[in-house]
Amino acid sequence: MEVKILSAKFDIEDSHRLEVAKKHGAYGTLEKLFAMDPADVIEEVKNSGLRGRGGAGFPAGVKWGFLPKDLDKPIYLAVNSDESEPATFKDRYILVRDPHMMIEGIIICCYAIGSHDSYIYIRGEYTSQLKILQEAIDEAYEAGYLGEQVAGHDFRLDVTVHRGAGAYVCGEETALLESIEGKKGQPRSKPPFPAVVGLYDCPTIINNVQSIASLPFIIEKGAEAYRAYGTEKSAGTHLFGISGHVEKPGMYELPLGLPLMEVLNEVAGGVWKGRQLKGVIPGGSSTPVLTPEEAHTVTLDYESMAEHKTMFGSGGIVVLDETVDIVKLVENLIAFYHHESCGQCTPCREGLGWMLKIIRKFIAGDGREDDIELLLELCDNIEMKTVCVLSAACTMPVRSYLEKFRHEFESYINSSNSDPVQSQAE
Amino acid sequence: MSDRSQLISSGQPFTFDSARDAEFERLIKRYPIRESMIMPALWLAQEQEGWLSTEAIAYVAERVGTYPAKVFELATFYTMYHLKPVGKYHLCVCRTLSCYLREKQEIVDYLAAELGLRPGEVSEDGMFSLEEVECLGHCGTAPVIQVNGEFHEEMNVEKLKTLLAGLD
Amino acid sequence: MGETVKLFVNSQEVEVAAGKNLIDALAVAGIQIPHFCYHPALGADGNCRMCLVEIEEGRPPVVPACKTPAMEGMKVVLDSAMIKKVQQDMLEFELINHPVDCPVCDQAGECDLQDYYMAYSLEESRMDVPQVNKKKKLDFGCGVVHDQERCVLCGRCVRFTRQITETGELGIVNRTDAARVDIFPGKPLDNRYALNIVDLCPVGAMTSSDFRFKQRAWFLTRDKGVCHGCAKGCNMYIDHHREKYGDDIIYRYRARTNLQVNGYFICDEGRMSYHLQNNDRQTETIVGGASVSFDDGIKAVVEKLNQAKKPLMIVSPNSTVGQMWAVLRIATLYGGDVSGYSDGYIIEGSGDDYLIHEDKSANRRGLELLAIKQDRAHLLETLGNADLVLNFDNDFHFSAHDIEVAKLLSEKDYVAICSHRLTAFETASVVIPIASYSEYDGVIINHDDVIQRFSRAVHKNNPPKDIVEITRLLGGAITDWKRAWPGIRQTISLLREVEPDQIPEEGMKLMNSGEPDVTA
Repeated sequence: MEVKILSAKFDIEDSHRLEVAKKHGAYGTLEKLFAMDPADVIEEVKNSGLRGRGGAGFPAGVKWGFLPKDLDKPIYLAVNSDESEPATFKDRYILVRDPHMMIEGIIICCYAIGSHDSYIYIRGEYTSQLKILQEAIDEAYEAGYLGEQVAGHDFRLDVTVHRGAGAYVCGEETALLESIEGKKGQPRSKPPFPAVVGLYDCPTIINNVQSIASLPFIIEKGAEAYRAYGTEKSAGTHLFGISGHVEKPGMYELPLGLPLMEVLNEVAGGVWKGRQLKGVIPGGSSTPVLTPEEAHTVTLDYESMAEHKTMFGSGGIVVLDETVDIVKLVENLIAFYHHESCGQCTPCREGLGWMLKIIRKFIAGDGREDDIELLLELCDNIEMKTVCVLSAACTMPVRSYLEKFRHEFESYINSSNSDPVQSQAE
Repeated sequence: MSDRSQLISSGQPFTFDSARDAEFERLIKRYPIRESMIMPALWLAQEQEGWLSTEAIAYVAERVGTYPAKVFELATFYTMYHLKPVGKYHLCVCRTLSCYLREKQEIVDYLAAELGLRPGEVSEDGMFSLEEVECLGHCGTAPVIQVNGEFHEEMNVEKLKTLLAGLD
Repeated sequence: MGETVKLFVNSQEVEVAAGKNLIDALAVAGIQIPHFCYHPALGADGNCRMCLVEIEEGRPPVVPACKTPAMEGMKVVLDSAMIKKVQQDMLEFELINHPVDCPVCDQAGECDLQDYYMAYSLEESRMDVPQVNKKKKLDFGCGVVHDQERCVLCGRCVRFTRQITETGELGIVNRTDAARVDIFPGKPLDNRYALNIVDLCPVGAMTSSDFRFKQRAWFLTRDKGVCHGCAKGCNMYIDHHREKYGDDIIYRYRARTNLQVNGYFICDEGRMSYHLQNNDRQTETIVGGASVSFDDGIKAVVEKLNQAKKPLMIVSPNSTVGQMWAVLRIATLYGGDVSGYSDGYIIEGSGDDYLIHEDKSANRRGLELLAIKQDRAHLLETLGNADLVLNFDNDFHFSAHDIEVAKLLSEKDYVAICSHRLTAFETASVVIPIASYSEYDGVIINHDDVIQRFSRAVHKNNPPKDIVEITRLLGGAITDWKRAWPGIRQTISLLREVEPDQIPEEGMKLMNSGEPDVTA
């Protein structure tokens, strides 16, 4: 099932070094690129069906098309390497194992959109990754792939790494821009959209690392070659991160559209320790959970996920085995989103803390039946009332656990023991 | 998040050393506005001192040319900025989702017992500090800990013993 | 109104100004949209989510009104069950970690959170888990006291220090529900407008140490006033109250919006100048060092005037146009000279490029337009010739450094007609107490040639008389400045078209200003 498009060089020793990467084709598309008209590059990317791999799944080429024409302002590209969604660790592989593929992608994107300044926003926790990335950029400058004349062409391109410092919300594209501008990472109200008013009030495209890294293949082999993978509306491949209770967790590149359970069983070795499946988080912590029944019918693409009332998200799949205490898992999730709320909008700032305290009431044995209803109502009261979707990233999955595993919450109320799962295990 | 607004004074004036001074000047050319340098400058200051004192934050504000209150905002918003001294070895255990599912609590409990620390504390001899942090992006190799930024994956008590033995 | 658009609010067609956001546009039509973070002087931030409104067929259907421009044909819904629920929910979120200490909060009675709760919620609290605790009673400097627990994090205060004063002392530190407003250690508020933060704060998080616990808001009578602290003439509210068995006293000034004069704010110096309306007032009538009745005092002055060969009348640059006119008339009656010498009111370097003018007088333009001489040479000359000096509230204290003037004055028979106890009046043979500007009405003209009318706010138990009344008691013919207006208008061509009762609320910009243009 696995394919090697983006991950082609991942297993090669020292693949992050220019010399090695070049031997395996890095920067091979540039001659072709500079012979193309930028509009044709955009068209090619549109035709490829590449969708934003950060989680939202917005068609990349279409996004580029939102840039205003003939504006007397610089255009910026910001590469979103904040990768902070729990269960998501795919971009890290690109940063470490094939950073030149990403740099090549940046060159392609910047040429297409007419940008000469790109910022890579990397999450602060990626320390060794930052070092490798910066070394790769330095090598690219030395070799003339970046700088005043990219690969000898009359095209300037500067790439700067901006390091985050511990804030999940900076993965939200306007929070990311705020952060580069030297502000707290607090999302902006939209409209205006960044393609019109973005970084330093200039038109800006923000793309995820994996989206950018997919560009060399698309330019080299063409849109059709990319579309050969995946489904009609979910084209190409994706770096899936599989974690949680499986025998072989890890990062796997797969075409979109495969049945989830086949992937879990055949690629990731199935549920660990011979245990039963309790549920699957399909695309990062903010996607609604799937029950085992749903997991058996869903395929790994945007449409099937939507049909199952969840989301493809970042492709970070988490397997929950039968021992998982859903109430405690939800506590863990709310604690995360509460910790990461930027504190700007009232409902998210105040509401997530309230939800966290309510869930802790359950764990302390003080939960009441009407607390379940209150939690569900708070999900509604918070969701979509805020500037960004961080709050929804919490309430959507929490609602799914409350609805699909309500009995576990109820058992906390009914049981004299505040920890029913543990008592079962004993 | 607990309150991070109680800044601590080092009692010493702060300035960048010459290497960081040069790095600041190199980086500032990459941005069209000076305020973009607040985060990089805070990183430089933290690299230099290990943490950010009131003096260091004031220095960054002056160096960038912005309000100290603004730098204060950023230093408290972004949780990787240490607003108090950390141990020689700063241990961060990921607490989120996949690490949680793969028993990060055993890691925390072992470290807490072995080092005599609760998360958020620094050992008396200043050797160790322990922190529980949110997702570190190593979910496929959970549970994971970071020691001074270096990742250690697929951790368990046995591997922790070896790791701690190597830290002195 | 300029260009307008027609839109629908709860299915009713409304015509509003184009280009404004929904909060401002609909407010003009008398439709209120609740909000905390939006303020017209600070722009839309969009963080409080209190102003969420429904737009029928809109995408998205729920939007913050502060960020949504009024558009032709737009269908705004404020009364749907959904929006009422949203408003209730936002208030619930604001309140879960709020101390609800209204009984001891200065803001009670004029608190947006309290008012909105009454108007849009009235729901019982469902919060049965521990609240977030933050710090209270933080001294932020400049007389601003902060309570982090009462704060709704709207950020108006922070934006004020960044956008208006550009001093940036405040920030919102931390994130999530640990977020709070704070100052950088050792860097408290340090600007001349800081107390506007207290006005701006929609809740009781920012209080004034000057006003704290002094008076409940609902006891205060709010009258409109014009600050006399400098030549800007900023608009403010005079909040005053007569305690039972006490006198009518002023508790505070607050900024009053006048886009033609001061915008939305006033300076702290002006704001605190209310103290001088309450305190250091001259209340005694004194003749020859002894306290006498007011009538006896007036009698003494009349006698002096009747005997004087050449009296000199000194006018204050703070007096109203009507008062100045009345003094001019009485000077004519007694064959006296008039001086408006007041160089001391001008404190060089004390102004800024915003609201604070270095001329600490409110109506120097009035002196100029009435051609009252202000120069020192003229004063020295007339003072030398005079055998009696009547000073109508010109605060010579400002000119105390002028030893020569002080010495000359001390050699004269000197009558001080004054609202305040002032050191420079120590040599006066007669002292007559009079009203200060919060106790009379009139018109003044600021240094930008905006004529403003203000009304009497304070009614003392023993109301002091104003300068016009004093001149009448001294034999003058003017009983009321408004009745004298036709004469004034004829004298000052710039005022020819001005009718006091028709001066609009925001004042009136006088055109063709220039040289003194007295025609009489």
